[in-house]
Amino acid sequence: MQQAGIIQKLSERTINRIAAGEVVERPASAVKELVENALDAGATRVDIVLRDGGRELISVSDDGCGMTADELVLAVERHATSKLADEDLVNIATLGFRGEALASIGSVAHLTVTSRARGSDSAWVVQVDGGKGQAVQPAGHGNGTRIEVRDLFYATPARLKFMKTARAEYGQAQDVIKRLAMAYPGAAFTLGDGKRTTFKAPAVGSLAGDARLERLGVILGREFRDNAVEINAEREGLKLTGFAGLPTYSRGTSSQQYLFVNGRPVKDRLLLGAVRGAYQDFLARNRHPVLALFLDVPPDFVDVNVHPAKAEVRFRDAGLVRGLIVSSLRHALSAAGHRASTTVAGAALGAMRPENLGNPLPWSPPGGERTSLPKGLSDASFASQAPYAGQTYDNSQAHFTSSDSLMQPSARPVEAEGDIGGADYPLGTARGQLHATYIVSQIADGLIIVDQHAAHERLVYERMKKALADKKVARQVLLLPEVVELEETSAARLIARAGELEAMGLVVEAFGDGAVVVREVPAMLGDTDIKGLVRDMADELTDMDEALSLKERLGDVCGTMACHGSVRAGRRLSVPEMNALLREMEATPHSGQCNHGRPTYVELKLTDIEKLFGRR
Amino acid sequence: MRVAHSTVLKQCSGQWIRPNFIDRGEVIPAQVLGAILCTLKNPAQDSQRHKYEEERQIMKFTIERNSLLKTLNHVQSVVERRNTIPILSNVMLEASDDMVAFTATDLDIAVIENTPANVAVKGSITVPAHTLHDIVRKLPDGAEVELSLAEGERLTVKAGRSRFQLACLPKEDFPVMSAGDLPHRFKLMSEELKRLIDKARFAISTEETRYYLNGIYLHVAEGDSGSNLRAVATDGHRLAQVEQEMPDGAMGMPGVILPRKTVGEVRKLVDEFEGGVDISLSDTKVRFTFDSTTVISKLIDGTFPDYTRVIPIGNDKMLEMDCKVFAEAVDRVSTISSDKTRSVKLSMDSDVLTLSVTSPDSGTATEEVVAGYQADALEIGFNSRYLLDILQQIEGDSVQVQLADPQSPTILQDQLDEAALYVLMPMRV
Ligand SMILES: Nc1ncnc2c1ncn2[C@@H]1O[C@H](COP(=O)(O)OP(=O)(O)O)[C@@H](O)[C@H]1O
Ligand SMILES: [Mg+2]
Ligand SMILES: [Zn+2]
Repeated sequence: MQQAGIIQKLSERTINRIAAGEVVERPASAVKELVENALDAGATRVDIVLRDGGRELISVSDDGCGMTADELVLAVERHATSKLADEDLVNIATLGFRGEALASIGSVAHLTVTSRARGSDSAWVVQVDGGKGQAVQPAGHGNGTRIEVRDLFYATPARLKFMKTARAEYGQAQDVIKRLAMAYPGAAFTLGDGKRTTFKAPAVGSLAGDARLERLGVILGREFRDNAVEINAEREGLKLTGFAGLPTYSRGTSSQQYLFVNGRPVKDRLLLGAVRGAYQDFLARNRHPVLALFLDVPPDFVDVNVHPAKAEVRFRDAGLVRGLIVSSLRHALSAAGHRASTTVAGAALGAMRPENLGNPLPWSPPGGERTSLPKGLSDASFASQAPYAGQTYDNSQAHFTSSDSLMQPSARPVEAEGDIGGADYPLGTARGQLHATYIVSQIADGLIIVDQHAAHERLVYERMKKALADKKVARQVLLLPEVVELEETSAARLIARAGELEAMGLVVEAFGDGAVVVREVPAMLGDTDIKGLVRDMADELTDMDEALSLKERLGDVCGTMACHGSVRAGRRLSVPEMNALLREMEATPHSGQCNHGRPTYVELKLTDIEKLFGRR
Repeated sequence: MRVAHSTVLKQCSGQWIRPNFIDRGEVIPAQVLGAILCTLKNPAQDSQRHKYEEERQIMKFTIERNSLLKTLNHVQSVVERRNTIPILSNVMLEASDDMVAFTATDLDIAVIENTPANVAVKGSITVPAHTLHDIVRKLPDGAEVELSLAEGERLTVKAGRSRFQLACLPKEDFPVMSAGDLPHRFKLMSEELKRLIDKARFAISTEETRYYLNGIYLHVAEGDSGSNLRAVATDGHRLAQVEQEMPDGAMGMPGVILPRKTVGEVRKLVDEFEGGVDISLSDTKVRFTFDSTTVISKLIDGTFPDYTRVIPIGNDKMLEMDCKVFAEAVDRVSTISSDKTRSVKLSMDSDVLTLSVTSPDSGTATEEVVAGYQADALEIGFNSRYLLDILQQIEGDSVQVQLADPQSPTILQDQLDEAALYVLMPMRV
């Protein structure tokens, strides 16, 4: 039984261990502290070794300024730091400042610090065991510092129990190192498990964009380099630099978003939220961008003293930070414009090359003599021999009505109208539709394949947003109001937002318990599936923070609406309809990708096609 | 290779055989072997087979190319291009005394046409509809076409020096759509049916989730002047209602929804026939009989909404317009807006109608036209596409627009055809 009510003075050892728990939660947090120390010491190379996921050994060596024998004694003491010149917690320019890390680590592990101060010709070593520093001894060591941590948490078995597998702990530590490596391209990093090196980033020099991109390429992969846009913006003393991945290069998790404040890796909710906001027009909710952003602010603008281990920060003016991130990302992504499509086209083309299809080809003739056409192409060429059934309905308005004729062949070639080649139009002239899903158009030096649903959805979406911005969402009043049955809570949630929804063109009223009646719909959606739209909107609201206004989630809301208002894959389009779609895409910003970040069209250059056929 | 021709043939009836003369231990598909053997000519047997064939003809007729083409034109349009059920790509031919019946179906609609022909052997078979149609289309005008079929063979199509052999499937597998008992029968003149379809069709909804709006609702309506046959279509934004004097026999018929595709098929045929169309129906099926052509169709199994509630009665602001002037003005001003919204604002004040369109991208357009309007000034917006659709149906020179306020349904009526009425819901910004 516990002795309640008796106040006891904790021993210094216990205090240290509690403090250690805050700073050193797991091997990765120890690694973070040690590497930060190395970087604070001005290291240009940091070599890290982790054995058994850091449990057996963490070793960090650097070529930084090092420590003298006196400094070594102080360094392992609690609240000893060389980094706060005048006890000023406001102007912090280094990664460390609390002077707790070494003492904390020393209280839960066997710690050995070996160091030689720059300019000195002798090295010293100090050992800390169970929180007690031993006497400083002379040692043999080159310039810089090596810190070894053995048997982490041997003194706190409770924490030991919470350790994950060596592999998981190693992965966490590696992630920490990668983050720091991104912020310090001027330093070389290596990480090994004692047997082999698993991560290696050579020094790439200054902080200039190129060096940084080079470093990011090493960490995030070459593909990131080819699919990133540079961010470089400044506003009221705040500076945002870095690289942001194109929406077409998105991921299923947000784990590849690296944010730094004054070189310090952070995982701040405000910052992540701003990134999300900036991308929301370009990505589906379950897709996440890849990026590395570096925010540099005056030291007094940010409070990094929120929590010793948590990567949260507090800004003096959060709105300013958010605004800077959202606007500079949006700006850069818009400027990147159609770039998305070309990178994707490259990938598609790669996939199409016969040699990439692997051997044996699943559909190649048994003899394998004939040159095998990529599947899509051969289908198209057969289909184009089918008779042309002609247009079956009035297209004078080039609107998206559906054809009630299903009699047309799957691909419909368009009679060549002279040799236009689409020189005047970036997206060319429609030549036909494949599988009632893709529009093929000819341009001067190649061809373009458009995903009709994705493209149209984007257009409706942009129109919708524009109309909203102009406060002019035209609503079609329904002759037959539609009653939609929902769950009671969903219906209530929808009704609670009726005013906001009306501004977006959707007028709903309560209709008894668990139902709503729809009286007006956004006119631009046309003859749409109202029930489906309302149910999706209700789902959208379920997932949405109640404190957020719909405007803040405009991307999702418009996306849901646009999806319902767009021409479906499988709908046959007439030639004027196809051309109208192409012309509208040209006139619409961001039309190169759909709301889910996929490309809406791909371009194949004639030269690429020639390569496919071995003509080049 | 020295093999007794007859012995191997016998073995070919099995699916997989292992002929003695191939001693490599592998199994060869019967079809492959059959193909090999067919190249080994046996002249004596060949002529024998010919005779045998003559005796075993199971269908044979000749027919003039133009009438065959016309018939195929009528029936083949219900055949879907890509069918998962192969036999649905086929047309069924049934030759009886001096007459061949051609049938095509998609399981929801069947079109049957009887065409006079010179029938030598009565019988039936099914062949790919589009292929047969394409062949006949390319034959010269006025050619005599012979279609013959011997047991176990393909269908032979001969005309002049052209000869085709088409793969066929037995008639027994062809789905027959039985009309069942059709207790209600009446007759409409071609012109009448055409009018009912044309004036309602544009308002049919294409949105499949509201399947009950994907057709024309044909039913008996009680009006001031007694009962009428009425066709109604709506997509929930606008509605078209056309009436027709009650034909004999239609009284007591159930209200039925004719599917959009059926409406299209029937409409195509109406153009080709003069005179009367026999219509018979139950509450699940309908049959249209034109002369020698019959369309049998399923009906949409759903309840058409009670549309009468949404047709306003008290609209007292009357706008009288020259229909052509009105339509042209709407068309002109809506040029300015490229998007689907295409809202055109109508402002009415003492005998002047001002149409205007504002597009945030491309600018504005306005046009003033003389109108007959004496009520209080009113502004109302409409989808210009919808407005034009309706104006296109108006036959007379002038149209009467009955308005109430900017949120309420508006009625448009043809001054020449009061039995047609259109309801249009406004747009709001
Ligand atoms: N790798 C290193 N090279 C040089 N000095 C170091 C190194 N690691 C630690 N130190 C010294 O030890 C002190 C204590 O380190 P630490 O406990 O991490 O606290 P902090 O980094 O917050 O100052 C630092 O202020 C620094 O002077
Ligand atoms: Mg430190
Ligand atoms: Zn979609």
